Amino acid sequence: MRDGSGTRNSPRLRVALAGNPNAGKTTLFNSLTGAHHKVGNYPGVTVEKREGSVFFDGSEIVLIDLPGTYSLTAYSLDEVIARDFVLLERPDVVVSVMDSTNIERHLFLCLQFQELGIPVVGALNMSDEAESKGIAIDGDKLSLLLGMPMVKIVGTRGKGVEALLRAIRSAAASAAASPKTTDYGPELEEWLGRIERLIDSDPAFAPPYPSRWLAVKLVEKDSVAVKRIGVHELHAEIVALCGEAVRWIESHFAKDAEVVVSEQRYGYIHGACAETVARSPVKGSGATETVDRFLMGRFLGLPIFILVIWGIFRLTFALGQYPVAWLDSFFGWLSALIGPAIPGVYLHSLVIDGIIGGVGSVLSFVPLIVILFFCLSILEDTGYMSRAAFITDKFLHGFGLHGQSFLPLMLGFGCSVPAILSTRTLKSPRDRIVTALAVPFMSCGAKLPLYVLLAGAFFPKNPAGAVMAIYGIGVALAGLSSLLLSKTVLKGEVTPFVMELPPYRLPTLRGIAWHVWEKSSQYARKAGTVILAASILIWAITTFPHPPQDIGARNAEASAYRTIQPGASEGEVAAHLAAFDAGRNLEYSIAGRLGHAIEPVVRPLGFDWKIGVAVVTGFAAKEIVVSTMGILYKVGTGESENSKGLRSALLADPIFSPLTAFVLMLFVLVIPPCFAALATLKAELGWRWLAFALCYMLSIGWALAFTAKSIGSALGWGA
Amino acid sequence: MTTIAALESGTRFVVRRVALAREVGKRLADMGFTDGSLGTVVRKSLFKGPLHVRIRDYDVVLRRSEADGIEVEPFFEKAAKDA
Repeated sequence: MRDGSGTRNSPRLRVALAGNPNAGKTTLFNSLTGAHHKVGNYPGVTVEKREGSVFFDGSEIVLIDLPGTYSLTAYSLDEVIARDFVLLERPDVVVSVMDSTNIERHLFLCLQFQELGIPVVGALNMSDEAESKGIAIDGDKLSLLLGMPMVKIVGTRGKGVEALLRAIRSAAASAAASPKTTDYGPELEEWLGRIERLIDSDPAFAPPYPSRWLAVKLVEKDSVAVKRIGVHELHAEIVALCGEAVRWIESHFAKDAEVVVSEQRYGYIHGACAETVARSPVKGSGATETVDRFLMGRFLGLPIFILVIWGIFRLTFALGQYPVAWLDSFFGWLSALIGPAIPGVYLHSLVIDGIIGGVGSVLSFVPLIVILFFCLSILEDTGYMSRAAFITDKFLHGFGLHGQSFLPLMLGFGCSVPAILSTRTLKSPRDRIVTALAVPFMSCGAKLPLYVLLAGAFFPKNPAGAVMAIYGIGVALAGLSSLLLSKTVLKGEVTPFVMELPPYRLPTLRGIAWHVWEKSSQYARKAGTVILAASILIWAITTFPHPPQDIGARNAEASAYRTIQPGASEGEVAAHLAAFDAGRNLEYSIAGRLGHAIEPVVRPLGFDWKIGVAVVTGFAAKEIVVSTMGILYKVGTGESENSKGLRSALLADPIFSPLTAFVLMLFVLVIPPCFAALATLKAELGWRWLAFALCYMLSIGWALAFTAKSIGSALGWGA
Repeated sequence: MTTIAALESGTRFVVRRVALAREVGKRLADMGFTDGSLGTVVRKSLFKGPLHVRIRDYDVVLRRSEADGIEVEPFFEKAAKDA
């Protein structure tokens, strides 16, 4: 069965770890590989690929963690990845991890790996739990019946792991695929045999997998298999024969052929389990149901869920602010420490403002991410996450979202970065994309200072109401945008909502620590590189080119200031001049010119070039919008939202009216988020969706602001 | 013949046929909704939201649109003992 292409010069074994979600695959992987593992992506897709190794009896076994799937159809990306990995990369052994308490459904996947013609070792995981539930599995007899070794293990406690490794070694040593395969019953076998013989008739076709597997997939109308057969010399005959087979099967069984294949496979499994699995009813196993009565109950479910989400939200941002502040002061201290040692004005500014400022902004998110993923891992590992999806699905489904979209959207109020990262808990790529694209509409914490500044200055009667209105508009936009996207761009990719509810399990500290470490280090690496580059870019465009010295203008400004403020001290004059210089530098820089260049675009919204510059620098971080305006209005270099000087400067500017202020808040709400969030979007969804998101949010932001401005002006609010 | 969506919570059933097109039908069959498999409607949520169903001794959540396409027969204890 195995050809010469599998020869290797090292004695390393390559073993793929496969199984259903909730089979305990990741726990087993972590306990086997310990610290020796790395996380990457499968080529061309954003599906995580974990690879690690374990040394056993002096030789190395490399383990590759396949995505958790229920089957191996061509419908889902995860399933295609899992089967392509086995077909194309030909690992030495596939270990199929199964939950012993639910053996039939787990064998359903296991047997499909067996059909791929690679030695399979069955790992009967959670065997302790099965025993306590009164399920007794005769592992030896099951091995014999199905033609593959079966090893009982308890992944969480490392029990049976050595026996498993030994079984892997001997399966690899014999290098023979299983002598047995699934029996689909006389009617299907007859057709499969005929298709298989026809496939084998072309010696040049010679697939690197059993032709029987291809025959089964063709009867299942698998799109990838149909494409594969395209190069066969008897391609037309095979297609005709398969068509005939499918028609016969569908009229005989009165259901779809692919469903018949699944039913027959389950029939075969049921036959094997009838002889090897004994069930004795055990009392007191209803703990999960008792808890579910509360957590999923008609009346208590939703309030409990809201409480949990509120708790996570509070914990993340309340507890997170301390380490964030420590990091902030650490970077301040670092700048003060190494600042004097750096020669040259520009190099100094690059290191202090560009690099340390940039890296600091990246790292300051890390505490939030650590806390957040700590909480999320607990929800996920205990099994609450799928219950939460059950509770919120009805409401969110109306907007084309998913039950599990709720948490990312809520987190969006805090910071888009962890919010977008948490969309990973969504299993279908379509739901993940819709949710990630809705997150930026949930107004993040960094936009608040601008709202406070503008609302305080222009809506003095009810600033809180104005800010709330902006938040409300954001939430409405998130819903409407998801509805729009799922009816247009992401139409037709609707995935069925069929989600397993695992029994409640106590999470292990080790498992949670792994999750947290993996997510946080991934974020720091992926987003870090992009944000560092972006920070340096923003630094450069706000610094260069430098305006020529103009002593005359500076002296004129100083005497003008002294005339307005007769009693001004030397320090006050110096501060005013510093602000004057900073404003002049910024206007002369590329960012300032960009602001002037985009003025025609933002002019219809009632904005001038100053707001243009602030919007440009806002891509570095939304908090910067306020301090940029401080510099441009020449009131100071470190302005905050509560600064009286900036407020009165804005009120004095004829360009600003309450309408302009409102339109600006709306515009900042909707336009693309900061670089950190964009980098995260890119990491999660890829360049294509990032480009789409940029255009999408820019056009919606502009259109919405323009509409608000036009309506407002027509109603005479612009004055 | 009825569908899962039409059953009261707490009712046991035997699956007869998944009357849903390609991907959904295949997915449900792969997850164990096959002819003769035994299940229970554990709970239904408010406002015609998803259903919590036990099938082949494990728990799944389905939307009503999916549950509506699974044809079943209500099952009463005495009728059979096989799952």
